[in-house]
Amino acid sequence: MTELTLKINGEDVTADVEPRLSLADFVRDHRRLTGTHLGCEHGVCGACTVLMNGEPVRSCITFAVAADGTEITTIEGFDDDDPMTMLRQAFHENHALQCGYCTPGMLVAARDIVTRLPDADEDRVRLELAGNLCRCTGYVGIVNAILSVIEKRQA
Amino acid sequence: MKSAKFDHQRMVTLEEAVAALGSADGEARIMGGGQSLGPMMNLRLAQPDLLIDLSRVGGLDGIEVAGDTIRIGARVTHARIEDGAVPGVTGAYMQFVASGISYRSVRNRGTIGGSVAHADPSADWPSALLALGGDVVIAGQDGERRMPLDGFQIGPFATGLGFEEILTGFELPTLGEGAKCGYYKVNRKPGEFADAIGAVVIGSAPRVVCGATEAAPFRVVAAEERLAAGAAEISVADARDMIAAQDPGFDDYDLQIHAVALSRAVGRAFA
Amino acid sequence: MADGGTGPGSDGQGIGARVLRKEDKRFLDGAGRYVSDIYLPRTLEAAIVRSPVAHAENLKISPPAGAEGRFFTAEDMAADGVQPIHVVSKFPGHKGSDYPHLATGKLRFVGESVAVCLADTRAAAEDLVAGAEIDFNALPPVVDMLAAVEPSAARVHDDWDDNVILDSRFDANAENVSAPVSVTRTFRMNRQAVNPLEGAAVLAEWDAREDRLVVYSASQIPHILKNALCECLGLRQNQVRVVAPDVGGGFGYKCVLLPEEIYIPWVAMQVKRPVRWIQDRREHLVTAANAREHHYSVTLHAQPDGTFVGLEADIIVDSGAYSVYPHSNILESTMAGRTLHGPYTFSAYKVRSRAVATNKPPIVPYRGVARPGICFALELAIDAMARELGREPYDLRMQNLVPPEKMPYTTITGGEFDSGDYPEALRRSADLIDVAAVRARQLEGEADGRLIGVGFGCYIEMTALQTSAAARAGLAAIPGYEQAHVRLTPDGGLEIGVGVQNHGQGMETTLAQVACEKFGLDIDMVSVRHGDTATSPYSTGTYASRSMVMAGGAIARTCDVLGENIRRIGAHLLQCGFDETTISGARVVGPSGDVSFAEVARVWHRNPEDLPADVDPAGVEVTSGFRPSPDKSPFSYATHAAIVAVDPELGHVEILDYVISEDCGTIVNPMIVDGQILGGALQGVGTALFEESCFDAEGQPLSSTFADYTMPGSTHLPNIRLDHLVNPSPLTEFGVKGLGEGGAIPPPATIANAVNDALREYGAEVSETPITPRRVRACVVAKS
Repeated sequence: MTELTLKINGEDVTADVEPRLSLADFVRDHRRLTGTHLGCEHGVCGACTVLMNGEPVRSCITFAVAADGTEITTIEGFDDDDPMTMLRQAFHENHALQCGYCTPGMLVAARDIVTRLPDADEDRVRLELAGNLCRCTGYVGIVNAILSVIEKRQA
Repeated sequence: MKSAKFDHQRMVTLEEAVAALGSADGEARIMGGGQSLGPMMNLRLAQPDLLIDLSRVGGLDGIEVAGDTIRIGARVTHARIEDGAVPGVTGAYMQFVASGISYRSVRNRGTIGGSVAHADPSADWPSALLALGGDVVIAGQDGERRMPLDGFQIGPFATGLGFEEILTGFELPTLGEGAKCGYYKVNRKPGEFADAIGAVVIGSAPRVVCGATEAAPFRVVAAEERLAAGAAEISVADARDMIAAQDPGFDDYDLQIHAVALSRAVGRAFA
Repeated sequence: MADGGTGPGSDGQGIGARVLRKEDKRFLDGAGRYVSDIYLPRTLEAAIVRSPVAHAENLKISPPAGAEGRFFTAEDMAADGVQPIHVVSKFPGHKGSDYPHLATGKLRFVGESVAVCLADTRAAAEDLVAGAEIDFNALPPVVDMLAAVEPSAARVHDDWDDNVILDSRFDANAENVSAPVSVTRTFRMNRQAVNPLEGAAVLAEWDAREDRLVVYSASQIPHILKNALCECLGLRQNQVRVVAPDVGGGFGYKCVLLPEEIYIPWVAMQVKRPVRWIQDRREHLVTAANAREHHYSVTLHAQPDGTFVGLEADIIVDSGAYSVYPHSNILESTMAGRTLHGPYTFSAYKVRSRAVATNKPPIVPYRGVARPGICFALELAIDAMARELGREPYDLRMQNLVPPEKMPYTTITGGEFDSGDYPEALRRSADLIDVAAVRARQLEGEADGRLIGVGFGCYIEMTALQTSAAARAGLAAIPGYEQAHVRLTPDGGLEIGVGVQNHGQGMETTLAQVACEKFGLDIDMVSVRHGDTATSPYSTGTYASRSMVMAGGAIARTCDVLGENIRRIGAHLLQCGFDETTISGARVVGPSGDVSFAEVARVWHRNPEDLPADVDPAGVEVTSGFRPSPDKSPFSYATHAAIVAVDPELGHVEILDYVISEDCGTIVNPMIVDGQILGGALQGVGTALFEESCFDAEGQPLSSTFADYTMPGSTHLPNIRLDHLVNPSPLTEFGVKGLGEGGAIPPPATIANAVNDALREYGAEVSETPITPRRVRACVVAKS
């Protein structure tokens, strides 16, 4: 077992964990933050995307012990975040979700796009979304939602 | 898909890490960004007994220009390179390559040293850096040594790194303003591993690489000679002959797409 | 509209309104509750020992060390009297193949469940799996369906005389099938996986307080799963409760029973603790490589003027190793045989369709079921005929589509199309895609050397399969009437219970819109609950594009009954006659006043002393039901059109433009309708270009991770231009038709036709999905 100290959604957390425990399983099963989802466990689908020190990472292929000393933000940790609030409303208005399983990871990735690439056009948005699989929506609503937030933030 | 059990040790110095590699019971691996090793471990295709965590070891994240050499630490992430942290013409080339690797959330953790040491035959850096030329910097029992990128990768997932050695960085050429670079990756979805790679860097001399070959990437001698003689394009048909001459064991389709990658990489270099 | 309803509610929230989804909030907050999010104390995690080979006998299993009481095999289940999954249709000659939960003696596909290992964590359970030993005698595997039908092939099932599950003929005027002009082609649609983003998942425990087995499963069919649990585990219906909570996509994968849904609950009963099994992606790609694998030999016969005469075909559907519950393993082969004609008129039909057993996972009805395959085969044959006759493909289709004046139209195989204007959909797509502009562009050539092509795909989709048709077809699972519970709550709102299960279709919103349409209630006052057999009416579930037709119809009818009771109470309060009242804006309106639903509810719930003497004792909590009468199915339809650019050097195909002109009858929520079509279309693109579950000669799956299996993504389809026609169905409430599957049906045909149009100078045609770069290059190379 390895000792682990980190912040999750602003809260200090200390735990003793098996080295092989993924960050995704740590937040889900040990912290009961189940908004982060597992879709593939090999880093392709993006459903597990969380922020580590403000940057999006794949929690399924990040061992929890590798997150020692970092600040993790899961989908549950964005209540006071303007970009996320705008994205949530835009996803709602643009029918950017159906079954909801990809949505938390998609929102974290979308937030990275609107904050890191404030001038992105549709082609760029589609390119940046290649790492997040959605089986339900065909992406149209998601792309429209992100573009609408980019436009609002430019205004 | 949960990894098999392993031990985990956090190192503070490079010497410590090298010693741990040497004294480990069973298989020991360096934990880099985990973006390549992580999936393999979740699939239990890799089952190391010990992962050595270097995240607290300093000196592995630097990017320094010293004359005609750029030294890049092994732990520099693809994302930093994508964001332009490497200066100059070399940096612009590397930025282009980095932006096509996987997805941003993977690029935030994946490292250039990890990628080259892991040596997945379909990965980008082994081919892209081979086209650039330069050296790999290695830490081992006897201190630091260098190996040229030429011949560093010897096969799929196999390099010239010894079992008790750690790849600590790269020394890459500072390309001049007139240097030409072109990189072409064949895949069906952005970020996917390549089906074929063509990489061309014309600095002091042309270097042309055929990559994503299911074995080590290789330099295409006839193509380099053609460019050295002043050519500004190479047709797909000629590229097929040039690649085939080096006996890569391709079927017709693979030969075709590698030839297209080479031809279009040359096209990008001269665009 | 039936009596009482007067149109949309306070903010236009009834039929036709673009209401935003009520269910969005929890998903946006990461507060959705899927099976893997539910925590029960003392839960043990399960990992499954699975067959490493495609075909073997004399199975012997040795448990791993340290697994006492934590390791279970078929022997243990048999000793407890558990029955296998058993499902046969009424088709004469349908060979039955019971589906064992855990392999018994024989192994019949790679990934077949062999044993269950339990531990405190999934990782530790997987350690136990690694320590288990399986011994067996390998047998020659039956991998390819064309080889499987040969009499000399090895037998998947020892007691069968061949591997043909069912051999069906659909002949009508067959002796006259030939005509002066014919084209013959062979087509193959390759095997793929469904890949909802949430895989299968089961959490089960014997709940002591409820004194019954409680099974949480990511299921589209909770009541059907309950039936299966009772049949297999020998339990009474009142001893079982199934809950499908939030489900992360289904698309048909989750509308058939999985063995895990039986053996995991059984194991939970043995260990007297909750047991959880969460399917990982590798498990899904290996064990659920079970969709779409069809082979067609088709001959299309026509007059020289292009009029279709006859359709001849030999269809084989690779149906895998076992028959699945409840639909059985001949649903797809019989659907293919019966409906290959699509939306076109034929006067003669000679079609043979065989379902064949192989050593691969059992087939599931993935979105569209047989229709993507038959659309692919017929639409490509039509384009081949067009090339043969020197006609524009669009034009040849226009000539042969069933015209609107023939509705309702009886097909050559006895099906009946209810309503629709198929030529208009084709006309509109052709206008939107602008065929003439494509032809001009083709003459000019592209600067980058790519080849441009345009293609069409037309289809019809039977939605909401009905009782008579299912029984006549001899199917194993027959749908009946659909019920809804509607309860008026003390505050004047509605709580509605339905038996269909929502897993992305927005039903918590769209089904509420039906009630809003009836009563003029604010949609916030209406809640729609589903998924729990303890509280929802019985239903065969969500599949076959049936939910709005059936559950929507049931809600409409139940609201009609409830509305009468409400009016009766309201009339009493208003001191007027029942016949003088109507309902509008959630109020009972009389000649000289009105009273709110809340007021009516108050009287029923709190002041029954004020009720009229003739009030219906059933009160304000009503269950009623619906089935179209006569019980016929509404048919949706559409035409898709696409422009592609083919890179002849690499074989890559890029979709430049894509249009859809579709008709699903009355539209309840246009936003939801568009979402279903767009999502289905990208799945269709996946089938068309990317998705393939490859197997080697030994039956080993080669596409077991997303590194080998490419999913369609955000860059693979430009924004689709969607056009809607509305020809209401005469059969349903409000004239609605189903539509959930349609988007996924024609893309393979449409894209293949566009690719073949682009490659026409090469004279070679793609005829197989997915249209990979290798397959395109093969066409290019064939010419040179």
